[in-house]
Amino acid sequence: MFFHILKKELKKKKAMNLIVLLFITLAAMFVGSGLNNVITVMNGTDYYLDKAGVGDFVIITMGRNSVGDLDEMLESEPAIDAYRLDTVIFGSRDTLKKGDGSRIETKNVLIMQDLPESTFNFFDSNNETPKALEPGHCYVTGSFLKTNDMKVGDVLEVGQEGVTVRLIIDGKAKDALLGSNFMGNTRILMHSDDYKVFRNNETIARDYSGQICCIDTHDISAVQEAATKCRSINFAQPRGTVSMCYVMDMIVAFIVLILSVCLIILSFVVLKVSLSFTITREYREIGVMKAIGIKNRKIRSLYLTKYLAMAVVGSIIGFVLSIPLSKLLLSSVTENMFLGTSLGFGINAIGAVLVVITIVALSYFATRIVKKATPVDAIRTGSSGERYSKKSKLHLSRAKRTGTSRFLAINDTISSPKRYISIVIAFTLCMLFVLMLVNTTNTMQSENLITAFGTRADLFVDSVSESMKIMGNSTDYMNKYFDEKDAKLKDLGLPGHFSQEWQYTYNAEINGKTHRIIAEHGFRTNFDELVFTEGTAPQSRNEVAVTSIIAKKLNVKIGDTMIIDFGTEKLPCVITAYYQSFNQLGEVIRFHPDAPVDPSHMTATMAFQIHFDDQPTERQLEERKAIIEKNFIHDKVETCAEYVASCIGVVPTMLAVQWLLLGITILVVILVTILMEVSFVADEKSQIALLKAIGIKNGRIYLWHVLRFVIVSIFAMILAAALSIPMTHLCISPIFGMMGVSKVNYAIKPLQIFLIYPAVIIITTLITAFLISLSSRTIKSSDTANIE
Amino acid sequence: MKKLMEVKDLCKTYVIEKRQNNVLKNISFDIEEGEMVGIMGPSGSGKSTLLYSVSGMDKATSGQIKLDGKDISKLSEKDLSSVRLNDMGFIFQQMFMMKNLTIMDNILLPAVECDKSSETRKEKVARCEELMRKLGIIEIAGNDINEVSGGQLQRACIARSMVNNPKILFADEPTGALNRQSSAEVMDEICKLNKEGTTVLMVTHDAKVASRCSRVLYIADGNIRSEYKMPQGLSDRDHERALNNWLLDMGW
Repeated sequence: MFFHILKKELKKKKAMNLIVLLFITLAAMFVGSGLNNVITVMNGTDYYLDKAGVGDFVIITMGRNSVGDLDEMLESEPAIDAYRLDTVIFGSRDTLKKGDGSRIETKNVLIMQDLPESTFNFFDSNNETPKALEPGHCYVTGSFLKTNDMKVGDVLEVGQEGVTVRLIIDGKAKDALLGSNFMGNTRILMHSDDYKVFRNNETIARDYSGQICCIDTHDISAVQEAATKCRSINFAQPRGTVSMCYVMDMIVAFIVLILSVCLIILSFVVLKVSLSFTITREYREIGVMKAIGIKNRKIRSLYLTKYLAMAVVGSIIGFVLSIPLSKLLLSSVTENMFLGTSLGFGINAIGAVLVVITIVALSYFATRIVKKATPVDAIRTGSSGERYSKKSKLHLSRAKRTGTSRFLAINDTISSPKRYISIVIAFTLCMLFVLMLVNTTNTMQSENLITAFGTRADLFVDSVSESMKIMGNSTDYMNKYFDEKDAKLKDLGLPGHFSQEWQYTYNAEINGKTHRIIAEHGFRTNFDELVFTEGTAPQSRNEVAVTSIIAKKLNVKIGDTMIIDFGTEKLPCVITAYYQSFNQLGEVIRFHPDAPVDPSHMTATMAFQIHFDDQPTERQLEERKAIIEKNFIHDKVETCAEYVASCIGVVPTMLAVQWLLLGITILVVILVTILMEVSFVADEKSQIALLKAIGIKNGRIYLWHVLRFVIVSIFAMILAAALSIPMTHLCISPIFGMMGVSKVNYAIKPLQIFLIYPAVIIITTLITAFLISLSSRTIKSSDTANIE
Repeated sequence: MKKLMEVKDLCKTYVIEKRQNNVLKNISFDIEEGEMVGIMGPSGSGKSTLLYSVSGMDKATSGQIKLDGKDISKLSEKDLSSVRLNDMGFIFQQMFMMKNLTIMDNILLPAVECDKSSETRKEKVARCEELMRKLGIIEIAGNDINEVSGGQLQRACIARSMVNNPKILFADEPTGALNRQSSAEVMDEICKLNKEGTTVLMVTHDAKVASRCSRVLYIADGNIRSEYKMPQGLSDRDHERALNNWLLDMGW
């Protein structure tokens, strides 16, 4: 008998049960895959770095005289247990061309390396280590193939200083050290014979060589201090920094986790609604069962069994679906990483079990009403239940112009707000996550973050080959070089000037201890445009600004002094301000323009900047981009916002996640609307029949139902839009903070936040509610006779 | 007297699990303007089905129903809604009301929807108040539906059904859910409306209620078995006694 009732219960509310089952499935799917993703990525970074042989400390030297400088330190430093040293050649984007001579896009500096001789492990798509390589063939790292729409078997033309080699691409190799979005370097892994062709060129060997060294050590700080003695160091960071470079991949993982949490909450909200609805509808039956002496436990177990069965079925389906979803979500991460998956399915299963437990617990609490109500209460009050509080808040008699449908909809939402809370929670949560992501993605491709990469300019020209030419040269050479560029600009009818941000590596003595620090210095940049978060901008050559990250690392604050060895002089510099920088993950300081910098200490250059004397419009800038691209031998000319986006690197991934989240939000909105409207139509059958009986047309009834959802969704959208700005600051700023920029001026686009995205949700709700409200057409006025 | 409603060869068939159930079989009858007609019969005889079919609330399988000369059996759902709103009133046994509206707003609702007259909202409110005053429920105008008694609620339902001055009032066991006193009060109101000119067609199980009608149709197995016309000049008690005797003859 018990199972017979249960069977009827499941059969009777087929649509409702199916939707609840769908939500349970979605919840299990997202909890499983979300947990899997986060745990795999969190543990996987270390796993990946170990497999690749990154070690505890990494040093990269680059530029003139860089090769050999490191060797002495490696041999003499007792804190070094072991090391792996690779000699490489640095190149630029214009080093590479496709087989047909067409242009190729790469991010940052290009690195050419002898694969068979490499001490570092790379991984192919099967996570095997490629070592065997034929002459004339190569592997490439990073998202090179994808970015340039190339495939295995395509030909790559590598040319540097007159030396050219054509290589057939054998595959993509994962590079743990430089393959992250944040590092973003591409390595061309070639055969020893091909590599020697470049290596044997004197200019290349002198100007473009470098070393990459992975060190195993028991004392990181000792190695760090020893590294301060090496020249031409471009990168000297512990393993933690390399690991941190995967923070962007972690952002994607965390967004998936947040999404999962959002869906879990939604599933439970929907479950609670459907449970309450079921219980209310079955009030009379419950009363009868109680009246004939069936124990509360038995009645409760009827519903608990139903939801347990649904939770188990939904979770099993969800678990199965979570496996491909995990792979799909991780694919954006594993494209550049080799992640351990030994725990994979176990985590998904744990997620599914968690969903079952939570659903059963929730059902248990929701069915407390069975215990509370007496049989008489339940039978007498029937489906509506007894109410003692005043219900109607508005009065039709006082509403002079409001139409019936509009009045009924407004009055319903105001009179029974509790009924709509679950919709508001579901819609607000979903929209909030979408809007937070929209704000983040917009910021990542806006000018707002430019000061975290350097000074503002009208256009940015990224040319590693040009940068290589000036690196390490004298100041006179640089002045001449930039004057020539400015003159050419003038000849083209574009009055303005070039500038560039450079990074220097110097030793700085702080509290008697020497540290290797990377300093930023602008050449012909607009220093006044830099943003300092605290203190005052450096006013003279012996004043510096520091990031809060390096201040914390070096244990210094505003007002402290550091003695910087500029090579030509040792200058005590006062820290006058804090600023923010994404460069070197925030571990940098900034010099005043008059600081006595020595070009021989230059370790990196940022993109060339162009500042126009007039104030060009966006359209003019686009036109000028084309002119500059045509007249200068440069790789890529970008506007300020484009430059920020390409520096951050994960914008395409973020956009993909944003669209995925919007898609899921629309799906959730549709499901919640269907569930609620189905329950409303069922719950209000008598009222709909009555309205029809007194002559109200179907259209008015649809409008009444649709308007309620529109009112509620508008309220939810206003709430989400209003919360999106503070919530973006609260949730996303700590992630930016990990990368060196904690105070972010978010690019809020009011049209998107307050109109376009909310409108998408409101229209979705409207259409769904309308389609479901059409089901009330089947309710006839004569049904008033059949209502229990 | 003018014929307000003409029902001819009305049939209603339900198909349940492929089995045909002929609930109404070629029913024909007329109702004259100002009449108060009762429908009686055993449970399951088709009384309510007849009422819902002739009022256009349910589609008849075949037959013709004319209201004031207009064949409503051929009308679309949309046009039927207009007829129900403007020309018909309906009182149910269960006192269905919109849950979130006050008594006044429930009564006002059909008036607001009705476009028969060019009254302003204020005038419609005034008319509702007048109607409620007449039915003795003005003091509960601002109350919620759960704050009033069953009798008051049914009178509110009568007020709602009368708010658009319908040509005919249909009542499905209007006193079925009420105690004797409330029942008498509600019937007094319906009779009063009838005396004022409203035509009434009412289904009832109660001979006392039916005795206040001018004519009673007895329906059994989907057919009108017989018709009873109230004799003139009898007291209420004699009316009831005469009706009871007739019902006994019908096998009631």
